[in-house]
Amino acid sequence: MGRYTWDFSVITANWDPLMAGLAVTLQLTAICAVIGLIGGFLVCQMVMSRIAPLRWVAIGFIELFRCTPALVQIIWIFYCVPYFFGIFYDPFYMAILALGMNITAFNAEAYRAAIQSIPASHYDACTALGLSPLKKTIYVILPQAVLMAIPVLLTNTIGLLQQTSLVAIVAIADLMYEGKTLATQTYRPIEIYTTVAFIYFALSVPLSQVVGLCERRLRSRLA
Amino acid sequence: MNITAALGFLWDYRLALSIGLGNTLYFTALGLAFGLTLGFLVSVVRQAGHPVLRVIATTYVEIFRGTPVLIQLFWFFFCLPAILGMELGNVFSTVLTLSLYMGAISSESFRAALKSIGAEQRDACVALGLPARVSVPYVILPQTVLRAVPTLLSNCVTLFKESALVSAVGMADLMYQGQMIADSTARPIEILTATALIYFVIAFSVTRIVSFYERGYLARMRL
Repeated sequence: MGRYTWDFSVITANWDPLMAGLAVTLQLTAICAVIGLIGGFLVCQMVMSRIAPLRWVAIGFIELFRCTPALVQIIWIFYCVPYFFGIFYDPFYMAILALGMNITAFNAEAYRAAIQSIPASHYDACTALGLSPLKKTIYVILPQAVLMAIPVLLTNTIGLLQQTSLVAIVAIADLMYEGKTLATQTYRPIEIYTTVAFIYFALSVPLSQVVGLCERRLRSRLA
Repeated sequence: MNITAALGFLWDYRLALSIGLGNTLYFTALGLAFGLTLGFLVSVVRQAGHPVLRVIATTYVEIFRGTPVLIQLFWFFFCLPAILGMELGNVFSTVLTLSLYMGAISSESFRAALKSIGAEQRDACVALGLPARVSVPYVILPQTVLRAVPTLLSNCVTLFKESALVSAVGMADLMYQGQMIADSTARPIEILTATALIYFVIAFSVTRIVSFYERGYLARMRL
């Protein structure tokens, strides 16, 4: 053996299922990204709140989701949430629940790091100018925090795009799942897996270029 | 749910779970050893290599950071043996994928650390008349390693978590054992929760070590 004859006609013949899978992947990514952007900020506010129980809950949530594999989270939520809470939604929504909570935990950390990176002199200046705590948060802290967090938030979103491939394991028909199915049906795993990998890659690269651009602009702004 | 019964049930499966954990740690350890070495070499090549080598190294890093680990695993399991026309062995494919992934993410950490060393340090070496064979091991390298350690340790945690994916290609790691027991006993709650907790305890302890180190390191930098 040795020489493998490539045959990419299998891709063009099965273009529709692949694109349908891609649509599911993109939907999952977009919905969870929005959940993560908002939820992450809320959880971050909880972590920094003065009320201790609120802080403990938030820290527990973050550590739990950051320190277990995403696959374990997805499978746990699929098997155990219906049992504990007596609910079972469409698998798609269960996947949103799992991935959304995962990205929320990671984004909360990103927001927190950004808020902590604001130098103490800004807080001092606010006090010196006699700004109320609310004004301080809205006009001084928040704009800087969001700006500083953008690169990490985008990186997390790229991570999310790749994490969505895990839902294939619980049989949600995303890009990875369609690829897996086609590979077994057509006996052409090489062409199909390579194409699927290339699609993920082609989606990630522009995003990571944007991250690089943001970082450079932030650095030149701060310098 | 009866806690004692749940613990008794878990106790019955302690051997299967510990075999799984052993495999997870084994794959992670091998992936770390090869991945960190590769990552360091790649970062040096990207910093100071021949332009052609630099392009190859950058492409490698982008591909492995830009595609889901799941598809990398599938690719190395099903496609590479077919292309090469020979059996590679399950463990080999697993370790190869994990090492290449770890190499890509850790090379970024090494590179960031190399970059973070100020130009004044190099200038000072020149001013003091230190040749490269003195300045690199005594000035540049210690600072690089010191600065890279926190991110490298979080990379290690990431690899440990990502290693759960090898269950999807049928490697008997902790996740795989957990799912098998859950499926064969129809008691997913206890076993999946226990699996998640095992991952959590290990990953959480390592992240604690990272933050202790960071605190100590930051304190030292302020001196």
